[in-house]
Amino acid sequence: MVGSVFNTRCTGSSIGMSPDTNRRANRRTFLTLAGSGGMVGLAGCVSFGGGEGSGDDGSGDGSSDDGSGDGSSGDDGSGDGSSDDGSSDGGGGPDTIALGQPASLSGQWDFLQPGVSQATDAAVAHINEAGGPLDAELEVVRRDTAVDPQEARTVTTQLIENDGVAGIVGLYSSEINPLWDFLQDFEVPIVTPWPGSTFLDTRGGDKGTPEDLSDDEWIWRTVVGDTVHTSGSAVYALENDLDTLGVINGTTEGERSYVEGFLEVYENNGGTVAERVEVELGNSSYQSALSRLFDADFDAFLVSLPQESAITALNDWSDGGYGRQPILSDPLAQQAIIDQVGSDIHGAWAGSPGQSGPSYDTFEEAYSGQDGDAEINAWTPPAWDALMVTALAIERAGEASPEAIQRNLGPVSRSGGTVVHTFAEGKEALANGEEITYEGAATPVNFTQHGNVFGSVTISTAGENGFESTSEVPAEDIREYVAEGEY
Amino acid sequence: MGLLQEAIFGVVTGSYIAIAAIGFTLIYGIVNMINFAYGEYLTLGAFVGFFAANALPGPLPVAVVAAMLGGGVISIALARGFFTPINHTGPVPMLLTSIGLGIAVRNAIRLFGGRSARYIDTETATFRFDAVPEVPIGSVDLLGGFFLTSEHLTVVGSAVAVFLVVHLLLTRTDVGIAMRAMGDDESLARVRGIDTQLIRDSVWVLAGVLAGLAGVLMAIQTNVSSTTGYSHILQILSAAILGGAGSPYGAIIGAYVIGLALAISTAFLPSSMTGLSSAVAFAILIAVLLVKPSGIAGTEVREA
Repeated sequence: MVGSVFNTRCTGSSIGMSPDTNRRANRRTFLTLAGSGGMVGLAGCVSFGGGEGSGDDGSGDGSSDDGSGDGSSGDDGSGDGSSDDGSSDGGGGPDTIALGQPASLSGQWDFLQPGVSQATDAAVAHINEAGGPLDAELEVVRRDTAVDPQEARTVTTQLIENDGVAGIVGLYSSEINPLWDFLQDFEVPIVTPWPGSTFLDTRGGDKGTPEDLSDDEWIWRTVVGDTVHTSGSAVYALENDLDTLGVINGTTEGERSYVEGFLEVYENNGGTVAERVEVELGNSSYQSALSRLFDADFDAFLVSLPQESAITALNDWSDGGYGRQPILSDPLAQQAIIDQVGSDIHGAWAGSPGQSGPSYDTFEEAYSGQDGDAEINAWTPPAWDALMVTALAIERAGEASPEAIQRNLGPVSRSGGTVVHTFAEGKEALANGEEITYEGAATPVNFTQHGNVFGSVTISTAGENGFESTSEVPAEDIREYVAEGEY
Repeated sequence: MGLLQEAIFGVVTGSYIAIAAIGFTLIYGIVNMINFAYGEYLTLGAFVGFFAANALPGPLPVAVVAAMLGGGVISIALARGFFTPINHTGPVPMLLTSIGLGIAVRNAIRLFGGRSARYIDTETATFRFDAVPEVPIGSVDLLGGFFLTSEHLTVVGSAVAVFLVVHLLLTRTDVGIAMRAMGDDESLARVRGIDTQLIRDSVWVLAGVLAGLAGVLMAIQTNVSSTTGYSHILQILSAAILGGAGSPYGAIIGAYVIGLALAISTAFLPSSMTGLSSAVAFAILIAVLLVKPSGIAGTEVREA
């Protein structure tokens, strides 16, 4: 090889000049191919989340064959989410009703999506087996946002404008908060199992006036907010004499929101923060941050990072032998944490939204009968609830327009009617002319004026057999720390 | 903990960056292009290492060697397919091509490599040196007890080995001397009989080998995912520019400056600003370039 570096071929000159290998024909051919390939590649990046529909069999085939699953094959496609005009005027009801699900099929939160997808598919199958809302077939069009606000903006527009969905059953805090005004302008109800952000504590819902849409904000969440379960975690920490805390958290909205919620209750009730370190995500090492954190004296340390960064940080913590009691944010109560960090993480605990609402057993039975073996996480039962309460709202409304759903989400969930635990029970009660109150799998789903739900907090502790529920902080214990009207 | 411990963390971080930055800066200096797809080379090397660790018998170093070989093959294949045909178009078209290639490769990895992070199982030993005396100056302890892990030693050892091999290659072999000649003046090198295409290919292979090594070391420390390399490309780029674009020795210096800046700023910034440690590293980069535009090593900046 060394000998061939210097070209000794005579080219008519006394100097052995090597050939210039750049050829114009190759360039043109290459540029044509590269340009075409680049456009295809970039097109693939821009619309990375091809539609993945969920039909009544829950197998993801509910979409049309181009992946768009438009659910609006009726006469006008005007976005009412049904295949005809959306009315139910005596036998003229829609054939199909479509809901849209922006999903984290990729990105740093993708590990949470399988459980939510499986719960959604189970709910769709259950609803359709019961006859479907307005006797139509319910479809869910699922598209990937990677929890990226710009991608979420595109996907939401596609779902509403192109797929003609009547409602949205997804979106994270990281997507809703920056897109708040954009989402309100659509005036399409978003019933989501994901967001914990305190930003939504006083935003969303029908403000207690279901018939008056003028004061409405079109976001509802079926998962308890960070304010609730971080309060529960803080209460549990104080009850266990963990009076001084170190904190390491990421710089994104979700991680900060979790910590702020936790510390508000913790510090107002006697807890002290000895040191707090914010870190960037995706670093190859967090040793410097840990070194700084553990120079302080505290009883326990709170970790609020996405899973991949948390595993790196906790591995560094284990390697450094820093010790002390870890408290994890709720998304970190995952088997992968124990698998990668090892036995040092045993004893770490996380407070998550309770998973034991009044109809949890019904949900669990349907969930386990569904294809797939995704682990149930804190967002899985709320995903079931989001579908149930939206379908019941359509059934009560008698039509599948966004406005009708928005008007009926409160009435089918708030107390006062016949208690129902499934869509089938609700459909039957509504057919009998009764008012209903849906009680869900994660919480009782008693929507507040701001579209929030309230529930207990489950404490899960890492051990040999994974994260196991070891304690429960009742909703009424937490309620005293969360003022009425402020959530 | 003392400044010594922070310096160790900085040296480890700098070593990751340095290995990759050498490859990046060799491409810049000899092929005359800024390769924004280089992060994806690290990612692909990490994936090769991950699959090799699971598929091949033998200890982890076998997977590391496989990642290096895989990185070299991938690098030359991508260069032959996308960069060699447009060598004559100049640095800007090649830069834009590399951006497009990086996006396409990253998303292809997401599509075909799965969406979950993967982990290479390793056992880490920790060595503690608690008897080191403290040397406080104000509130800062210059020495004090510290610890090292087997991963730290592996990364730093790999980096030192790479520095030696690259130095010997550039100073003691015809290929290396030809590389340096091309870096100075490609036309003159060609007139003098150097097979410039062969040298370019050699650079691509070497850069790929280094990317594979850096990628698998990062994978061992963190995980393997579609963004393993992409999340470090700015640090790699900064190290190369800080040291003096095109100079492997400058890239090494630049990498350690950035590594130390990241570690020490995390340790000493006010609590509310610890998430800005990268900003401090880039502030140093800007300050150095304002004072000395050619970078720390003083290498002449090419037209790219």
